[in-house]
Amino acid sequence: MPVTRLLYPLFQLGNPQLRIFRPNWFLTLVRPGKEQPPDTVQFRIPMEMTKCDVKNYLEKIYNVPVGAVRTRIQFGSNKKRNHLNQKVKQPDYKVAYVQLAQGQTFTFPDMFPEKERMPAEGSMEEMQEKFMEDEKQRQKLDPRRGGVTEWFGL
Amino acid sequence: MAASSSAGRVLTLCKQFQNVFRISSSINTQHCSTTLIKYQPRLYREKSPLAALSWYSPVSSVGQCRALHTTINRRGLEEFFDLPENWGETNVKSGAPWTAKQLRTKSNEDLHKLWYVLLKEKNLLLTLEQEARRQRVQMPSPERSRKVERSMIRLETVVKERETALRLLQTGQEKARPGAWRRNIFGYVYWYRFKEYAIPWHMNRRYKRKRFFTPKFVQPHIRLRIEKHLREKARKATLEKKTQSKVKEKFPHVKVSAS
Repeated sequence: MPVTRLLYPLFQLGNPQLRIFRPNWFLTLVRPGKEQPPDTVQFRIPMEMTKCDVKNYLEKIYNVPVGAVRTRIQFGSNKKRNHLNQKVKQPDYKVAYVQLAQGQTFTFPDMFPEKERMPAEGSMEEMQEKFMEDEKQRQKLDPRRGGVTEWFGL
Repeated sequence: MAASSSAGRVLTLCKQFQNVFRISSSINTQHCSTTLIKYQPRLYREKSPLAALSWYSPVSSVGQCRALHTTINRRGLEEFFDLPENWGETNVKSGAPWTAKQLRTKSNEDLHKLWYVLLKEKNLLLTLEQEARRQRVQMPSPERSRKVERSMIRLETVVKERETALRLLQTGQEKARPGAWRRNIFGYVYWYRFKEYAIPWHMNRRYKRKRFFTPKFVQPHIRLRIEKHLREKARKATLEKKTQSKVKEKFPHVKVSAS
């Protein structure tokens, strides 16, 4: 990560609270694998983040009211083997289930809807598509042969 | 000249204002209230210095004298997703990453704000990437994440530069974390970075267990180590020479590479 490792001063009683400038924590909002209640949002968070951190992060940066946070650590599979028959470990990650406050609900949107798109007139893409269609038409078998392969018969 | 003209303009404006008041008061009290409401935003605008400038100057120069202004864009959890019109597109247009040169012209506050903008963008891209991986489709414009990462690295370097400059001015120290060259028990010299301890060093038993010196009896071993290193170096050099000469013997016309 780009951020330099910070060395915080040793905490002694009465010292000011430690502050984070330019946090280098990145959350990933994921679609929940199992059905969740409508007010619960699932995140993948870095391992060193705690529940309080998640709460503060969402409230301060994203201005999202957070009710409760639950976390767990997902074990990355180490079942895969490489070409030397050694075990390959997928990285572990932490999962946070964030319950929104103030009766807010969240549903994961469909980010890849089927979109009807027409290539621009006279563009390279259109020509390519046309060419591919022609080639397909040309390489089709003769319909009069009734599906009999080419090498069979005269 | 300009100041006097602007002052004159203000005077005329005041006069117009008074006229409006007089007329409206003479006609109807209700009308008066509406005109007041109409004039209120303008009055408020005069308070802020930038808006006041635009008030006196012609309309065309409004864009030139306006400072950098960022509205607080708070969409909550929607900020983890791209704009809805970009959903399902194969290509999403994006600008170039911030260069260090551009970032150096910005103030600390701007950089701090920019960090959070980049952070949000990176979160967005991570979410998009994960969702694309899950649905087994290609992520639209995956080069964006690289751009954001580069911008963040550059921003970090710029901030570090500034901190170093300030530290040099204030304390004359170049490094953020003080340290010293120390010698360990095997005679190696390395940069020891100082650490903060809760108790003084003479009470710290674990710290006192560390040995930052080289005993006398290690000296011959250091010498042996140097000898070993030199021998290895020489052996490699002779091997290289031999192979070169062999190649030369086999292929006399081949040009030997410089390395």
